[in-house]
Order: sequence, then C-alpha cells, then structure tokens
Amino acid sequence: MARTAKQRTDIQIAICGSAGDGTIAAGDILKQAMAKAGYNVIAFDVYPPEIRGFGKCIARARITSEQVYSLKSESDCLISLNDSHAIPHVSEVCKFGTVIYEDTPVSTVGEGAHVSSHLSPAHLPYGVAFREISERITSSARSRNIVAVGYLAGLYDMPAEVFHEVISGKFAGKSKELADSVGAAFDAGFQTGVDTFRLHFDRIGASGGKGKQTDLVMMSGNAAVVRGCLDAGIDAFFGYPITPATTIMEMLAREMPKHSGRLLQTEDEISAIAATIGAGYTGARAATATSGPGLALMTEMMGLGAMAEVPAVAFVSQRGGPSTGMPTKTEQSDLNLAVFGVAGDGQRIVLAPTNVEGCYKCAGKAFEMAEAFQTPVIVLLDLYLSNRYEAVQLPSKNPFAENCSKTPRKNASPAEYNRYKLTSDGVSPRAIPGETGRMHTVTGLEHDERGRPSDQPRIHEAMSVKRHQKLLPALKHPGVTISKRFGDKGVVDVGVLGWGSTFGEILEAMIEARKEGIRCSAMKVVMLSPLPVGPVKAFLDDCNEVLVPELNYEAQFASLVTGATGRPVHRLNRVRGTPMSVGEILDQIRQLVGHSGKIAAE
Amino acid sequence: MMNISAPVYLEDKLEEVERSGKLEYRSGTLPTWCPGCGYFSISEGVGKAMTELGLDQKDTVCVSGIGCASRFPFFMNTYGFHSLHGRALPVATGIKVANEDLTVVVVGGDGDAFAIGGGHIPHAARRNVDITYILFDNGVYGLTKGQTSPTSILGFKTTTTPYLNFDQPLNPLMMLLSYGASWVAQAYAGEPHHLTEMIKAAIDHRGFSYLHVLSPCVTFDKTSMTYKNLDMSVHPLPDDHDASDLSAAMIAAQVTDHRQIGVYFSSERPTLSDGLDEISERAKKTA
Ligand SMILES: Cc1ncc(C[n+]2csc(CCOP(=O)(O)OP(=O)(O)O)c2C)c(N)n1
Ligand code: SF4
Repeated sequence: MARTAKQRTDIQIAICGSAGDGTIAAGDILKQAMAKAGYNVIAFDVYPPEIRGFGKCIARARITSEQVYSLKSESDCLISLNDSHAIPHVSEVCKFGTVIYEDTPVSTVGEGAHVSSHLSPAHLPYGVAFREISERITSSARSRNIVAVGYLAGLYDMPAEVFHEVISGKFAGKSKELADSVGAAFDAGFQTGVDTFRLHFDRIGASGGKGKQTDLVMMSGNAAVVRGCLDAGIDAFFGYPITPATTIMEMLAREMPKHSGRLLQTEDEISAIAATIGAGYTGARAATATSGPGLALMTEMMGLGAMAEVPAVAFVSQRGGPSTGMPTKTEQSDLNLAVFGVAGDGQRIVLAPTNVEGCYKCAGKAFEMAEAFQTPVIVLLDLYLSNRYEAVQLPSKNPFAENCSKTPRKNASPAEYNRYKLTSDGVSPRAIPGETGRMHTVTGLEHDERGRPSDQPRIHEAMSVKRHQKLLPALKHPGVTISKRFGDKGVVDVGVLGWGSTFGEILEAMIEARKEGIRCSAMKVVMLSPLPVGPVKAFLDDCNEVLVPELNYEAQFASLVTGATGRPVHRLNRVRGTPMSVGEILDQIRQLVGHSGKIAAE
Repeated sequence: MMNISAPVYLEDKLEEVERSGKLEYRSGTLPTWCPGCGYFSISEGVGKAMTELGLDQKDTVCVSGIGCASRFPFFMNTYGFHSLHGRALPVATGIKVANEDLTVVVVGGDGDAFAIGGGHIPHAARRNVDITYILFDNGVYGLTKGQTSPTSILGFKTTTTPYLNFDQPLNPLMMLLSYGASWVAQAYAGEPHHLTEMIKAAIDHRGFSYLHVLSPCVTFDKTSMTYKNLDMSVHPLPDDHDASDLSAAMIAAQVTDHRQIGVYFSSERPTLSDGLDEISERAKKTA
C-alpha cells in the first residue's frame, strides 16, 4: 500500500532483552534514526539495578508525526531479545500489535518458556532467526540486536539510509571493519523484514511533513543539561557519582576540559557542593549534580550558600526513596528536600523542567539566576526526565547571558565597600577575590552589612527580609518559563496542575479529556521556589476541580500549593517506580467531572 | 627557647602589634579569643609571614570552618570565607580550582579538622591542592566550651567525658604523611619566631602544605596541653633530620615522649592545577 502524506504516525516500539543483549544500543539506533528521518520521538529506557548478570533491559520509543508529550502505556510492537524477560511485557502490546521474536533458539525450549506461547489471538507474531542471520553475516551472534532493528525497519518500511547514517556515526573514528559488519547485519535484517508477508497496518506513516531534518537532535534530559551548562560557559564542576545524575558528570568530564573548564570528582557530596560554593565565591560559574541522598548531605552547605549569598548550581535528579530506595526507578519525592531542606530560613531558587528542552533552558538559566540573585539554585530533575530522549531543536544562537553579576561601582571608594549592603532590591554589589581594596569575609554567621558577625535582633530581621525579598524578581527572569497554562481558556471543569516529568502525561490526558468534550486545562509550574503564587491562584480560580498528579506518596507538590494558596486540591499519587499512566490521569479527570456535576446538582 | 608561662593579655598584644607596624593584614575587627589563647600567637605569625612574603591582600583568601580557630579570617584584612564546621578544605579546593592565582590559607581547629572534617583531609593532601593548611591544635573543643576532641589525650576529663576520655588520640602528623601531603611540619604557639618561619615556609611551598600548631586553650584545658606542659615537652627536630625522607619523617612523627617541632617532610610534585591543565591539554588534542 502506498504511503500518503496525510497518514498519521503514532507507533511505540518496545525492545526487551537481558543486559548484554544490546537492547539499549538497539533502541538507541532506532530512536536516533527516526529523529533523523524527521519524526517526533520520545524514548525511555529501563535498566536493571545490577550491572552484571542477566537483569532485564527495556528500550521504549514512541515515534509520531504529531508532537506528543509522553510514552503510551501500550506498545504497538514488542521485540524480544530474551523471552523470559519479554513474556511479562506481551500484555503491554496493543490489540493487533506485533511481537517479533527469535524463532530458532539455540536449544530446545521448555513448555511456556517461548514468548510465542503467551500471545493473545489479537497479536501478530513474527518469528525471525536473529541469531542465524547474525552468524551468517558477521560470523558472530553478537549482532542479533542489529538484525532485529533491521528487521523492524524492513517490516515497517522505515527509511534504511537514516539507520546507516546513525550506525556509521556511532563507529566514526573507530573500526571501519566493525562498522561495515554492523551495517551488513542491519541490511540482512532489513531485507528479511521487507520480504515478510505482512498486513497493511504494520507500515509506518509519514513523518508529519517535516521530511528529513538535520537540526532535530535526539537528546536525553541529562545530555540537555550538559549542553545548557556548556552554552552557559560553565567554568568548574564538582561531583560524586550517583544514579541517575552520574551521566551529567561523565559527559561534562569529556567536554569541559576541551574548553579549559575544570572538573573534579570529589570525595563526597558535601565536598562537591562545598567546592562548588568555593568556586562560585571567586566569580566562576560552578555546578554539581546529584540525587536525593546526595542532596540530603548537601543541605547544610545549601544554607551556607543562602546565608553567605554565594552563587552555586546543583542539578538533582530524583529516584525512588527514602534512603537508597529504588536507585534505578523514577519518583518525584525530593520536592520537599529541594524546597525546604535547610537549617533555618534558607530559601533558594528551585527550578523543575518538564521536558528535555526545558532541561537545557533551566540548566543555562540556573547559572544566570545564581549570579543575578547571589544564591544557590537547584534544578530538580528525575530519572524519567534525565534518561528519556526527545527530539529537540536547540536555538541556533546561544540564549544565555554571560555575566549577570551586580558588581560594585568602579569609582566607589573601596573603604565604603559593604558586601551585604541593604539595597532596594536586596541584591548587594558583589566583589570577588582579586579586586583591590574590597577585601571582606563571607560567612554563614548572621552578619551586618560589612559581613561582621552580629546577632542583633534588628540585623537578623533586616537580613532575613533581604535574603528572601531578593529572590522574588526571579519569577520574572527573562527567557525561561516559570509557569504556563495549556488547553481550554477561562472557566473549566477540571484543571490539572503538575510539575516535572509527569507533566507530559498530564498534557496527554488533558488533550484526551478535551476530545471527550470535557472543559479542561493543564498548568505546569517550573519554578517551585519562590512559587509563582499569583498565576497558580488565578488558575485555581478558573477550575471547578483541581487535580494534582505526581509520583510520590506524600503529595508533596499538592501540599506546597495548598499551603501557599489555601485552596484544596485533589491528589493523585503513584509510587510504582514507573511514569504515571495517561489513562489513570484521564480516569481521574472523568471522575472529577462527575463529582463537580454532582455538587452542582445538589 | 622562649617560655611563656603566664597568660598573654589582649591589650599588651594589641600594643605590640601596633608597634610592629604590621597592621596591614589586620582587619578592623579585634580577635574575640580569650586573653592568653595560643591563637593570638598564630594569627600574629600569619600576619608577619604574609608581610615578609609580600603577599598581595587582594589576591589572598583565608578560609576556615567553625570553631574558635575558624574565627581567624574575620581578623585578617584579606579576602575571607568563614564556612561550615569541618568543610574548609573542600571550599578552599573549589576556590583554588576556580582561580589558581589566589594564595589560599586554610585554618581550623582539631575538631573541625579531624572529627567532622576528617574525610576531606586525605583528598586535599593526595590531590596536592596548592593551599596551606594551618591546624590550630588545642586538644579540646573551644567554641562549644570544653568537650573532648580527637587529639585530646587519654584520660582527659571534659564536660562530655567527666570520668575519663577513653579514646586514643589521633596522630595527625602520621596521618598527613601517609595521606601524601607534600609538606608537613609542626610548630608551637609558644615559639613565635619559629612559628613565623614555619608559616612562611608553608605558604611558600608549591603544593599542599600542612602546618600543625600546638596551641594551648587557656580556658578549657588546665591540665594537659598547657603552656607549662608544652614548654617542657616541645623540642626541635634533630639537626640531622632529613626532610626529603618520608620514612625518617614517619619515624620522627611517632616520637611520643616529647613533641618535635620543625619540617618533617618536604617534597615537590605536580599540583592539582597542574593535573587539570594537563587534562585540558589532552582533551584539546583529541577534540
Ligand atoms: C554541623 C555542626 N556540628 C556542630 C557544631 C558545633 N561546633 C562548633 S565549633 C565545634 C568544635 C570546635 O572545636 P575545634 O574544631 O577543635 O576548634 P576550637 O574551637 O578548639 O578552635 C563544634 C562541635 C557546628 N557548628 N556545626
Ligand atoms: S576557648 Fe580556648 S581556644 Fe577558644 S579562644 Fe578561649 S582559649 Fe582560645
């Protein structure tokens, strides 16, 4: 059947195998190639917590012609590279979805151990001899995963040339022989796919008229953070490895030295944030990256940063907690720690991007804000956002300002220099070491304008006001979304308020609800501290019912909103270690419509 | 050897400082230490050493943690960072990594260093961060009013060990030598001239220099590390001590029947900044 430009594409592929099968690598080639071909792609990989052994890996990619915001709970196609891992996932394949599997296993398979015996009658089975083809072409079984991707591409009529581009890109500068053999494995799989008898709906539709796009890049949230840091001109980075933040440090370790940036793996998170603050004190753009347990160790230093008024940026990617919790599973349960975790009244700026592009923006803007408001800034991510891939278009011109520091006037007498001068906007001109005559000591002790320790009641009050008031203009900081409303305007039946990675699912659910005729809108809140109370209140005013879905048990964001606005909201909390399902949010929206209808009738 | 057997008074000290004409490195804030505290001697030594080395105040940063000793930066007319209990070294590392042109002097007490901050010392030492660490050891917690410290002697009675301190004291010199510090020395607050020379040499050393200063807390220690006891037990290192020999330094550091002052160990090796520069060069070549 011929492809028509009007035909929409929305297919989700899940590749499932065990660690060592090349599952994640296969998924990576698929998503990079489809992004190159001009499709929208959202992808998210699930790894086992253990490195060795035979833990389960799943790579999922949703390929669409229209812009979408999350993965689907059902996949259209499951590729099994390991049947024992794939069997539980057969149930996620939709009606008339395809299941692709190894049909010539090395040894006899016990009853029920083969994936084909678990399919429902509505599934379309495709058995392929991955191993045999790989062995025939490359004289090794190691390219089974590539044969599988090739088969998928052939079966679905995906353009082979983009796959070749991605494969040769992956091996650029490495072994040409290896690249050729992988390319040949792909071709063999591809041809097998093309030659397969299939039904028409197995084919992929158009890419949405965008054609082949070279400025769309597939990028993970953490990679976007790294790009943001580099574009903002990061000078120094200090970190201690922890999932899911480690890849930020690993990518920066490769890139920063090329631009004379300096990176150090410290002995723990306390020293990571301490060194970040030390570097910030000298005027450098400095950052660290961690997860909840690391942030817990950093809280005392966060307070010092607030009190001493030193710029510093911390990227915090949440995972399941408390304690070591579920290190390779996603959760949004460190909001309280990020917003409130400090000794004393130590407010700081907290930004929580909702998608990969937002990771880039918030990363760069965090450095601007840290400098402009002389404060630590936390950029709060989570595993689902750090590790998920989206096709993004980065601005062609670097959007980040170079130096946002308020410096002492050049001709002002150094003798009058007060590091903590009380000014109308609360921000004091900041001198850094190396400036003649402006020597001063910064301190975590309460201090007067000069920086001299003081516990006078009036000074503590005035300085507390200063440290909090100065942060409010961050709500108007240019070039970054602080909060934003989508969907129906005016009064709506249900409003969904969200933050962080879950906002993608919220948007999808809101769009579905509107299709069902429900008046619905969604608002994302990116700046969690200081909270944009005005816009949030205005949104709540417009909603008959408000739903707050988030991936934590304690409804941390809902409590934050209720505390700040005094308004009740409906909570939807899930802690399964997986992203929220669109269906669950949609169900809640439907129920709330019934709910408010009932109230109106009473 | 100069013996200080009586307390030193604040007024006398201030007058002496004024007469010395070395107020340049003094801030307008007067030290808040108890009269007679050994810390006066150390801070005067630092001021003198800086004057003699001709350090530019604008390019000098004093970094500290929390404690009586850590109040030090407030009294200096240089840039200063009074940070958190135990965290002076990582803050200083960040400062030096971001701006290697600065002269960074870190000070702290024995609790700040070896109790809460103990985890940071090996790493600053092994990385050979080009900073000077002056440890004010009084064998007790001063600021919190007299509790036991990791360098308190066995049996020392304090408010938290009212019957007996049962914990073996650490041997900081042995620790620093084994951590890979490239310069290790000991001085005594009651020997101000020697102390000043040691501070000068420590700042002058390219790499991580550790100066352990024995300094009586006149308020919370009346029995163990007093001027009287230290005056008797402090001796110079033997003339034939070879400071280039790590084993000799370790043997000297294990002498416990008296306290030996002088340079235990001194060696040159690339600093953290050198390493980071090399990493950058390699990265640029592969780019
Ligand atoms: C996290 C933390 N814990 C405890 C304290 C309380 N505290 C302040 S100084 C100090 C010990 C001071 O002893 P030392 O480091 O030996 O310095 P000295 O006062 O003797 O110069 C303690 C326990 C603190 N400030 N911060
Ligand atoms: S309490 Fe001890 S250490 Fe602190 S200032 Fe007084 S004498 Fe010095």
